[in-house]
Amino acid sequence: MMNIVVLAKLVPDLVEELTIDASGAALDLTFARWIINELFDDHAIEQGILLKERSGGTVTVIAPDLEGADDVLFTAAAKGADRLIKVRSDFSAANNHAVARAFSAIIKGFQPDLILTGVQAHNDLDGSAGPLLAESLGLPYVGYVSGVALADGKFMVKKEYPGGLIAEMEVTLPAVFGIQAAEQPPRYVAVSKVRQAMKTSSIEEMDASDLDLSGAPEIERMFQPEAAAHAEMLEGTPEEVSAKLVALFKELGVL
Amino acid sequence: MPIRETFWNIPHWAEIAQYVLALLTALVFIYGVGHRVLRWRKGLPEKRSGHFWARIWSLVTQVLAQRRTLDEAYPGLMHFTIFWGMLVLAIGTALATVDWDVTNLFFGFQFLTGWVYILFELTLDVLGLLVVVGLGMAIYRRYVTRPARLQKFPTLENVSYAARDDAYVLLMLAFITLSGYLTEGLRIAVTQPDWAAWSPVGSAISAAFLALGDPANQTLHLIVWAIHILSAFVILASLPFTKLFHIFSTPLNIYFRSLEPAGALQAPRSEGGVKEWKQFTWKQLLDFEACTRCGRCQDVCPAYASGHEFSPRDVMIKLEMHLWEKPNGRALHGDVVSAAELWSCTTCRACSQVCPAFIDHVGSFVDMRRYLVVEGTVDNQLQKALANLGRYGNSFGQSERMRAKWTQGLQPAIKDARKEPVEYLWFVGDYASYNQTLIDVTRKTAQVFQRAGLNFGILYDAERNSGNDVRRVGEEGLYEMLAEKNLQALSRCKYETIVTTDPHTYNTLKNEYAWNGNRPRILHYTELLDELISSGQLKFSKKLDARVTYHDPCYLGRYNGVYDAPRRILHAAGCELVEVPRHGDRAFCCGAGGGRIWMEEKPGRERPSEMRVREAVALDGVTTFVVACPKDVTMFRDAVKTTGSESRIQVKDLIELVYEAM
Repeated sequence: MMNIVVLAKLVPDLVEELTIDASGAALDLTFARWIINELFDDHAIEQGILLKERSGGTVTVIAPDLEGADDVLFTAAAKGADRLIKVRSDFSAANNHAVARAFSAIIKGFQPDLILTGVQAHNDLDGSAGPLLAESLGLPYVGYVSGVALADGKFMVKKEYPGGLIAEMEVTLPAVFGIQAAEQPPRYVAVSKVRQAMKTSSIEEMDASDLDLSGAPEIERMFQPEAAAHAEMLEGTPEEVSAKLVALFKELGVL
Repeated sequence: MPIRETFWNIPHWAEIAQYVLALLTALVFIYGVGHRVLRWRKGLPEKRSGHFWARIWSLVTQVLAQRRTLDEAYPGLMHFTIFWGMLVLAIGTALATVDWDVTNLFFGFQFLTGWVYILFELTLDVLGLLVVVGLGMAIYRRYVTRPARLQKFPTLENVSYAARDDAYVLLMLAFITLSGYLTEGLRIAVTQPDWAAWSPVGSAISAAFLALGDPANQTLHLIVWAIHILSAFVILASLPFTKLFHIFSTPLNIYFRSLEPAGALQAPRSEGGVKEWKQFTWKQLLDFEACTRCGRCQDVCPAYASGHEFSPRDVMIKLEMHLWEKPNGRALHGDVVSAAELWSCTTCRACSQVCPAFIDHVGSFVDMRRYLVVEGTVDNQLQKALANLGRYGNSFGQSERMRAKWTQGLQPAIKDARKEPVEYLWFVGDYASYNQTLIDVTRKTAQVFQRAGLNFGILYDAERNSGNDVRRVGEEGLYEMLAEKNLQALSRCKYETIVTTDPHTYNTLKNEYAWNGNRPRILHYTELLDELISSGQLKFSKKLDARVTYHDPCYLGRYNGVYDAPRRILHAAGCELVEVPRHGDRAFCCGAGGGRIWMEEKPGRERPSEMRVREAVALDGVTTFVVACPKDVTMFRDAVKTTGSESRIQVKDLIELVYEAM
């Protein structure tokens, strides 16, 4: 029986307008809407459920106690997650170093075989959470994973490399995987099923130790994209353009 | 004195045999009917009692007078003649039986004598001819002109049971009628009664026999009589097992039809939607059995017309066949009805509007969609839209805080109905609020309201998608959530009337929201403008002098019967209205309804919206295509481009014309 733990990261919803706070070095999160990191962590949950459906096991989904966490957890339960955990602490200003340390202390207690999380998130200012978590747990990490399978007692993962290259590797468990994409897109859960899950499952709340923010780069200034100099269009025949391009490269000292 | 010579030339043993056969036939018939009724009772309960007299009236108009059936001339007349002919012949036979086997047998008198008998003979003789004409028309249509809607029925293991059934029924009816005439003719040829002239057809046949040979051929009469009687019993005994059963199932279906507003969809009766046929209600099962495969639904279906592998007729036929399948592992979903079929429906309700059997196709489709949604079988675009609706309350995936962004810069500012009492609470809707190309129209709507001096306000960011189409997608839980939020927001406001931009919103607010007996007045903006014009509150300063056509939105017209208000507004604004051939309750859907607007587009022949634009472009001198639904504006502007009709016609919301004329 595989014991699968999914760390579901929540991120500020980019649908809302982003503003910089008074310090000038962080987002103003007063009105932020926290949602699941849809591009990756939602896939990590889906991958965990798929694995359970295929090879058996239990899926524990663990999320930071931010507004919106209940929604994420109950939705995961409606999809088939067995255990829901909300970790209490002030996560809104936490960096991934702190998140990884806080979660690793809790996850360790579950003795998982497999820890899945999204490979990255748009608020990963200090590196993605997966490798940091693996480091903190002292477990191996494979990122950019787009498929996992248990076959003949061996655990195989598919890892994507830039340029369309895919590696299949055997991994000794326990290990942490950064999910790039689940084998199939996250399924739709009907609202009625989420409501059902709210009635039948419960969220366990756990306290994280004090957040340790150390190890992350210090941010000096955060700002909205600023208009830079305009692009210069090289015009002419292909020969002329390539000549101009070579001259430009020489001028910049790259040739 | 004229009298019915019952069992003339029939030996006593044959008479006895006939009664034995009659008894057997009755047993088979009762068994067959019971078989059917028991099958319906396997469905879930559904309340369809009450309104007794309204239901009886439906039977009078739709069964006896055949109103819907007669909407189409050829098939209507064809059916009408067969129906009334057979009905009168059946009544005639019943009377003759009473005359002979009841009154004569027990009381020693016959009432089919004298002038009564003459009238009886004449009526039956002539109405039989009506049946012959009807059957001729039916055979000619089914096998010679062969309209598409009577072809290509779904099969089971490559056998078209439907086609066999159709052939059997026509053949048997023809046989029974013709053998009846022959029997009569032969009898008259021998007995030559004084009153023979009152049976014109029988006399004519008798004359032919006389001309041909032995006028006293009693053996031939006996043989033909035997064939006639046998075929009559065969058709009666097989009636519950053939499409002729519609003689019972269709009137029953008409009697039990929903008398609720068409726009009020039933909440799921089985949790998680309909997964297998026993989760349909008995009434839905009766729907499938009442279908006569006439194919009128297919003719008007926009999904079918645009080349999708979908026909409401086929789904009904397949469901009916499925009810009777022995357990063979074939699943309702996938094997009988595919998800692609179910997602093709735009819920425009054109099918139900023309169905002579009053089948509620859309209700059953939505019940099956509910199962697909719970199973997560939705396409990516729809999934995205539903997720957005769940999170932001709109399908656009934009923040609810941006819902009223379109109001920016409007002077005077639009009242916030949450903060001050208003007379009219304007429920703006998603498309009118968020769709960039519609904002101009929405702002003009606000300006028209302002110039008319209306005291109105909106819900600003408390408004959510009304859920009309979410519900028709089959996402009942999400629908409930949206409806609850809207009702909650509305309950905190003081207003007298709700006015909506979108007919879809209008439909669900008016017919489906749980107002708990406190439903406010709900108007579509066309109804409101119509009121304002007739009361003189809204005045036009000029006549537009435009030649326009008008597209009835499904959820305004067919679903809610608002046909006249938009037309009166057009008239008042000085427009000359030229109707598209398919207008009023026959209007052709734009293809966006029932959540189709959120789904991936499947390749087909041509989009419904494009067909519609071509229909409008073909009208002489019409340059403006007027709509009264925000989704229609986007759908048809798109279709005008894709059909290359930009120079011929432009799409305008009715409000734009009102704005221009003010």
